[in-house]
Amino acid sequence: MDPPSATKFDVAIVGAGPAGASAAYTLARKGFKVVVLERGRTPGSKNLFGGRVYSHPLELIFEGFKNEAPIERWTKREVLSFVTEEGIVSVEYASGSSTSFTAYLSKLSAWMASKAESAGAILVTDVRVDDILMENGKAVGIVSGGDRLYADVVVIAEGVNRLLCERRNITPQLSPEEVALGVKHVIRLGTDKINDRFGLDSNEGLAWFLIGKVTDYLPGGAFLYTNSTTVSLGIVVFLSHAMKKVKRHIYEVLEDLRTSPPFTRLLEGGSLVEYGSHLTPEAGLKMMPKKLYGDGFLIVGDAAGLLINLGYTVRGVDLAAFSGYLAAEAIEEAHSLGSYTSHNLSCYERKLNDSFVMKEMKRHDSVQKLMSKSHIFELYPQVLVGTTKRLFEFEEASPKLLEAAKESLKGKGSKFKMLLDAITLMRGP
Amino acid sequence: MPLDIVVCVKWVPNTQIVNIDPRTGTLIREGVPSIINPHDLNAVEFGLTLKDSYGGRLTAIAMSPPSAKAGLEFLIGMGVDRAILITDRVFAGADTLATSYVLAKAIERLMPTDLIIFGQETIDSSTAHICAQTASWLKLPYIYYVIDARLEDGKKNIVVKRVLERKIEVFELPLPCLMAIAMKSNVPRPVTLSNKIKAKMENLIEVWNNEMLKLNINCVGLKGSPTVVSKSIPTPVVPRKKLKFEGTDPIEAARWLLDRLAEEGVRVI
Amino acid sequence: MTQQTATKQRIKRIRLEDALNANVWDVDAKPHIIVDSEKCVGCTNSACTYLCPGGCFTLLAGKLLYSYEGCLECGTCRVVCPKDAVTWNYPLSGRGVQYRFG
Repeated sequence: MDPPSATKFDVAIVGAGPAGASAAYTLARKGFKVVVLERGRTPGSKNLFGGRVYSHPLELIFEGFKNEAPIERWTKREVLSFVTEEGIVSVEYASGSSTSFTAYLSKLSAWMASKAESAGAILVTDVRVDDILMENGKAVGIVSGGDRLYADVVVIAEGVNRLLCERRNITPQLSPEEVALGVKHVIRLGTDKINDRFGLDSNEGLAWFLIGKVTDYLPGGAFLYTNSTTVSLGIVVFLSHAMKKVKRHIYEVLEDLRTSPPFTRLLEGGSLVEYGSHLTPEAGLKMMPKKLYGDGFLIVGDAAGLLINLGYTVRGVDLAAFSGYLAAEAIEEAHSLGSYTSHNLSCYERKLNDSFVMKEMKRHDSVQKLMSKSHIFELYPQVLVGTTKRLFEFEEASPKLLEAAKESLKGKGSKFKMLLDAITLMRGP
Repeated sequence: MPLDIVVCVKWVPNTQIVNIDPRTGTLIREGVPSIINPHDLNAVEFGLTLKDSYGGRLTAIAMSPPSAKAGLEFLIGMGVDRAILITDRVFAGADTLATSYVLAKAIERLMPTDLIIFGQETIDSSTAHICAQTASWLKLPYIYYVIDARLEDGKKNIVVKRVLERKIEVFELPLPCLMAIAMKSNVPRPVTLSNKIKAKMENLIEVWNNEMLKLNINCVGLKGSPTVVSKSIPTPVVPRKKLKFEGTDPIEAARWLLDRLAEEGVRVI
Repeated sequence: MTQQTATKQRIKRIRLEDALNANVWDVDAKPHIIVDSEKCVGCTNSACTYLCPGGCFTLLAGKLLYSYEGCLECGTCRVVCPKDAVTWNYPLSGRGVQYRFG
């Protein structure tokens, strides 16, 4: 395409997911001429996640977020379960207040993109971006098929599969060690059944994490989130471990979970309305590109590796959205300095470092590293379930807690290792 | 010799793959997005190919609710020059007769035009009426199952190939005429960035309503539709017999299979 | 045992094809996955056959067969292939899986 002045943009954003849409919305409100290029038919139609969003960062970005966004339920119950063949041990936290909600990412992304559009951003769907247009080492636009589109600065919000970054050698090819695979069912149950079976009021949500047998003891876990009329049930497995140890089709692992207690009872009468999968960044700081900016471009969201998996919760959407927001601020700052050089855009990294995004990424990096170790997902559930079983299932002599714990630890490896893990989990290295 | 072509399309629920609830056996419709009828994309591709060969202009028309705008943007993304969305509450509930009447009246406003093309049928009703009925309203010749067309004698006649089950026929039609393009007879081209930007930045979609068309409201929409759906019969479910051949010899297996088919009334010639 | 059978009957397993059919699709006429199956010869891992959530890859008599119609566009095949045999890109024109919930 010839670049007549009418179609030259200040900013071209690749991807209308949470990161891209947040950047677009913020930039459009600052008066930039923004175009968002989305490969899906509608924004969100290629997005998929577990099911929970931490709200606060989004409230900072989007005006009227709490009232307008497609929120399903506010998370008021949190359950963490350790599962083995012997049984389940769960820890539950319930609270009157809530900082996160359940949602459908397709709908949330669509809402964010519609906000960006009303703020003045041009949203172009059905278009796959094939390359970043580079001139003298500087990003000057994008390429799609035989067409070129010029922009002063490019925001790369292409998601976890960094096809563009890889093509331009900005990041190396994604390796199995860096990502986890999530597969998920959305199951329609109806509001009443959900409220009854999960002990919830209509606006209250449950976030449930399970580890152990649910993934054949592989690093990762299972999750269940309650939406208004459906539940999202899925599993996440670290790909490098799954490649070595999964002995059957990944779909069967999910089906085993759905058709085994306690889900047989909880999901009875439900009907499947969607089955999907997605990769998530899992390597913490290791998966992040060395530099999140360059001459004429910035990298945001999943493409920047921004996701935190703590074993008992995952956050990605809020980090992605906030990185998009900060990218917009950085672009504004670079604009005021007169050009989008790598030097002028470097304030993006500073803003990220100063924000909760990188503080959290760094603070939890050791936990993330721990999360990729297999013994956590095997040893912990077995010791916890074994100990609990011994405490409650006895015939004559009721055991003391310590005796039960010692017994269940027999032959399960180093107690010292467990202690170290526990310390890491609690306060970092 | 440039051609002025009109293509009529329908905005339909995406039932290309019928989603049956595995538990209840009913159709899943929740949140099912609409798309341009896939067979109409073959007509659009056909029109664009003619435009590539002879030059000219391709105008798309849809009689649909306002949400069809997204579909028309998709067509502009493919290369359609201009789109007309005919939308009005009084047009709702139309059968093929009332639909073709509105389309014919809209096409009259676009005359002179050389060629009016359609998809063979729609995925949500499969009547294949619209091309023939529109032609009748317009009193113009029409032809179905077209796979190829080329101009003869400058712009007076068009030579078309149409495909029937076992043969290809060649016809010569005077212009203007109507044709329905054989489904799956081509691969619709992808949307391009430059066309899609044009769809977004330039005002290429016109919205027409009945204030503009001024059609008799007894001839359009539900009122103008004599079709009555008296009853719908779901496809009967035939339970599988789950028979298994236990041997190992392939010839024996084939014989066994033919015998079982014969028991079901299948005649092997 | 009887209790187990009872719970088993409460929820039936869903076949992968039926699960994929719960989704909305607009499948492209052209494949967006290309596998150079020459490279698959001698692959001992064949991770794609059990980790592709859409079940797009199967081994038949030692040869890799693949399809793209049930692709959920996660990119797993691309990441797990030890032989770099998978050329994978997103479908054009918004085609492929259409997530309504995600």
